[in-house]
Amino acid sequence: MRESAVQQRVLPGGCPLWLIDRPGAGILSAKLWMRGGSSGDPSGQRGAAQLLAGVLSRGCGELSGDALADLVEGCGAGLRCEAAEDGTLISLKCASSDAEALLPLLLLMVRRPWLVDDQIDLERQLNLQTLQRQKEDPFQLAHDRLRVLLYGDGPYGHDALGVEAELKAIGKPELEQLARSYGHSGAVLVLAGELPAEAERWLLSGLGGEAWPCSAPERQAGPTGLLQPKLACSNDDTEQLVLMLGASTTPLGAPHAMALRLLHCHLGVGMSSRLFVALREEHGLAYDVGVHYPARLGDAPFVFHLSTSSDRAAEATRELLSEWQRLLDQAISAADLELALAKFRGQEALGRQTSSQIADRHALVLGHGLPFDFADQSLRDAAELAPEQLLTAARELLTQPSLSLCGPSAALKQAEAVWNAHSLSGAAMG
Amino acid sequence: LPALPGPSTPPLPDPRRHQLENGVSLVQIELPEAPVVCLDLWCRAGSACEREAESGLAHFLEHMVFKGSELLDAGEFDLKVEALGGNSNAATGFDDVHYHVLIPPQAAPEALDLLLDLVLQPRLDGGDFAMERQVVLEELAQSEDQPEEVAFQELLRQACGSHAYGLPILGRREALEAHTPEAMAAFHRRHYRADRCCLSVAGPLAGLELETRLNQSPLAALKPSEPLAAVPELQLKPGRDRIELARLEAARLLMAWQLPGAADQDSVMGGDLLTTLLAEGRRSRLVEQLRERLRLVESIDLDLNVLESGCLVLLEAVCDPEQLPAVEQQVRQVLLELIEQAPKPAELDRAKRLVGNGYRFSLEVAGSVAAMVGNSQLWGRRHNLQRPLEWLEGWSSERLSREVIPLLHPDRAFCLQAVPA
Repeated sequence: MRESAVQQRVLPGGCPLWLIDRPGAGILSAKLWMRGGSSGDPSGQRGAAQLLAGVLSRGCGELSGDALADLVEGCGAGLRCEAAEDGTLISLKCASSDAEALLPLLLLMVRRPWLVDDQIDLERQLNLQTLQRQKEDPFQLAHDRLRVLLYGDGPYGHDALGVEAELKAIGKPELEQLARSYGHSGAVLVLAGELPAEAERWLLSGLGGEAWPCSAPERQAGPTGLLQPKLACSNDDTEQLVLMLGASTTPLGAPHAMALRLLHCHLGVGMSSRLFVALREEHGLAYDVGVHYPARLGDAPFVFHLSTSSDRAAEATRELLSEWQRLLDQAISAADLELALAKFRGQEALGRQTSSQIADRHALVLGHGLPFDFADQSLRDAAELAPEQLLTAARELLTQPSLSLCGPSAALKQAEAVWNAHSLSGAAMG
Repeated sequence: LPALPGPSTPPLPDPRRHQLENGVSLVQIELPEAPVVCLDLWCRAGSACEREAESGLAHFLEHMVFKGSELLDAGEFDLKVEALGGNSNAATGFDDVHYHVLIPPQAAPEALDLLLDLVLQPRLDGGDFAMERQVVLEELAQSEDQPEEVAFQELLRQACGSHAYGLPILGRREALEAHTPEAMAAFHRRHYRADRCCLSVAGPLAGLELETRLNQSPLAALKPSEPLAAVPELQLKPGRDRIELARLEAARLLMAWQLPGAADQDSVMGGDLLTTLLAEGRRSRLVEQLRERLRLVESIDLDLNVLESGCLVLLEAVCDPEQLPAVEQQVRQVLLELIEQAPKPAELDRAKRLVGNGYRFSLEVAGSVAAMVGNSQLWGRRHNLQRPLEWLEGWSSERLSREVIPLLHPDRAFCLQAVPA
């Protein structure tokens, strides 16, 4: 990216503002990232961060929920507020020519949300219904159980939507308190696209000169995971068995994270990836097989997932475990590392196609307290890694995976027997 | 109506069209700022082209293509493309299939050679065929474990009757188990022909000189097709049914309507406006009435599926089983009100902005530009990228009321209630 295209400012009160100029398409994307997502849900209030995020767009400043929706939809714009594990993200995408009307909303939603009981009730009800409906998906069920195996009742141990019993009890006073904490642990605002000259003034124009006390997100330790090989079985009357094998690992930017990212590329990115070739192409065991390794402030999960016909449960479990074991037994070849690196570079290039993608990636990195050019630095760092370093990372972080299964009982029994006999379950250690 | 202010965009780039001697068409769009080139090969070989015994063959073939060709071993294509920093994928629809590669510009010529060899000269090896059949059966099983997908499939089956749009693209299990490499090769020979294929390319294209390259490619060697029976027009059958589904956690109200086919792109734009007006955003009529005010549903969506033999508008409302009758009654009422009273200017303006911006936003990505112009070219539609925005402008409230809104009368729909067993 051209140096001159990027400018850094600081909003009154301390929130860093990054402006990334990409003229031409007439599109503007804004991402406001505030630390404190579902991992920051107060005790007994799991689901609060997401509930609050949902209510933010239901009225702010002088605008009722209806008026706000009229304004945003009337401009044909997109406005979303969502809590993820580590932060709450407000995203705006609009025509640059509508920026004057829409940019003031970002800080207004944070500083002057309405938080009306009636709208909180509606949003809570919708979240409860979504939690219920998600149980239709066997992947969701397996994932929910795996999350508990990896994080217990720690900050990463629940879905951002929350836990039914606790979500039901969250009301206006709790949300008001949570809303007051926005920015206290850091926030960052990134604008990318065709930038109007007055963008910064418009951002502030709703607050009447009031500053938002806020700091740049600092590098800090995030939530940790558990390290013990465990098994969870969800009995469900499905055709397939879903298998998720994973471990909690390490934060984005931590010493071994880059090595794991390359292992992720090697194992799970593209149709030439190791899991795809070994499990799908060579054994025909699955349609969907891959690796889930999201960027996290704390110990990120590193997960193999696949679904297979129930009658092939034992074979699939055996193959999946042996692929994991392989990571611990041998270094990948130099050619495989080269391929993984090409995929990593390719993904980086593909992730920079739109203004939204660019704003999103920078907001995430800055929100983790990492430098603006972290992605470019990562590309250079990745090129320096050797196969042995990937092996070291695997041996340090992946020795104790847990397995979560969802499917019919006969398949569960078969898979369980294979797991219990495998050294990864701790069998050899007695 | 006043012109929409819209983004101050420079004029959208015009597609460059070229025809090979055998009639295959090439369409190129220059996107100088894009970081990748998208190569997108389209063919009129969707599931609607299948004969009775060929159920699932179009999609199965799409899988088999990646198992190697005359020049490439199984998996070699993926390996080469991915080593060049690219990726590839494919999708089979009712009407057509396309194979696409995203690749850094300097590697585009090599990737193009690989793609054309792969798709046009597939090897269809017997051993690979048996293995890949397992994968397709797993794909089928995976979709059957999602009760929502089962419900949609049932809706289409009942609404579309014997038309291909009522049959599963993945195919029937028994048919899949009976397929042979020979039958698949025959399907490939029948449909992957000069007059049924086109290549679309979008991205930074300076210096690529694709035209010259294509003259020596398998694309230039394709022969014209033998006469084929045309896919009949869809005749959606209104009606209603109620089914119980295991593993469903919330009830669904599903409805399907028919709109004019994709050939009438102006109407497609009208349909897009109408579904946006009705169900995109909190201030859309259905969302406002059913989710925000009456709070009967968790969500309500209305999607326009653009198809050659007749577009399908599909509604899905997710709700508590007890609320189903009320939900259906309210959907009906909202639609009847819209038929009675034309949309207000502000409502139409809102929908136009949403549709127009959605269209402009999609042009930011080489992949979606290539898909858009490739699909149009395949079906003989030669408008430029600006044209859809002009069509959009041509829709007034009263024209919508006259031409499109009546088509969404509740009595013209097939309506399926799905409830937890």
